[in-house]
Amino acid sequence: MKHNDEIEKKVEEVLSSLDGIKRAQPQPWLFSRIKARLGREQAEEQTVWGALGSFLSKPAVAIASLCVILLFNGILLFNQPAETPATIIAAQSEQSGSDSESYIASSSSFDFENLVQP
Amino acid sequence: MDEWTLIEQLKKGDEAAFRTIVDTWQDMVYNAALGIVQNAEDAEDIAQEVFVQVYHSVGSFKGDSKFSTWLYRIAVTKSLDHVRRKRRKKRFGFVRSLFGEDSEMTIDAPDFHHPGVSMEQKENAARLFNAINLLPENQRVAFTLHKLEGLSYQEVSDIMKTTVSSVESLMHRAKSNLQKKLEDYYKDKT
Repeated sequence: MKHNDEIEKKVEEVLSSLDGIKRAQPQPWLFSRIKARLGREQAEEQTVWGALGSFLSKPAVAIASLCVILLFNGILLFNQPAETPATIIAAQSEQSGSDSESYIASSSSFDFENLVQP
Repeated sequence: MDEWTLIEQLKKGDEAAFRTIVDTWQDMVYNAALGIVQNAEDAEDIAQEVFVQVYHSVGSFKGDSKFSTWLYRIAVTKSLDHVRRKRRKKRFGFVRSLFGEDSEMTIDAPDFHHPGVSMEQKENAARLFNAINLLPENQRVAFTLHKLEGLSYQEVSDIMKTTVSSVESLMHRAKSNLQKKLEDYYKDKT
């Protein structure tokens, strides 16, 4: 019992240890360091890649780019299955047709009349 | 010069106004960040980030809340982001250590000693900060702002964009959680 009372007392002491705490202060010359940081940021933004990076990392630009990519993917995905089999068959038959035509054309253009007989 | 004039001048890019703003609110921002991240270097870095953001986005400050409330919000958001990042890194370090890779992140952070605590309360306060570290984010923020910054429940609720009764509830839960954690600690110790 006494043991529990001691623990309770200790806990109360710890819980009230922040009473009357004073505000902590940063190191001196914080403003100079902030100015230096701003200067570094501006210098980075002045390079082409830095400017491109900071432009693309803007949430609005990043989200808009993602939406455009997803939209194109969606369009491709929904259009492709309906067209693919027919397109492939049409392309294949067209290809084989043109192959045979070119074969016929090449064989019909052969000069049989001037063919030198042995 | 009043607060609103300073803000209007900063919107026009006046460096003197920016300097006055930093000088006026740097202790407040630093102390709030320090209470949450519990590391002097990290708090300093966050304070810089806060004022850089203020410089860039002061145009979006419409004056719906007090300027100090807006500053506290930025400081709290950045501090919590920092804590989350650090915890992610620590978890990643732990996973890496499981695969036999060297990792410094598995080493526990030493006790945090707030410079504003009196010498005789130093050990007790360090124990309390350890326990605060284990609280859920909302309770941690409410407790830190109320105890370290001395803000009223109304001011804390403005910063956290919630009601006063929610802050009361958060504070109640924070206190009972801290009490339990500390009791467990001292029971294990004896």
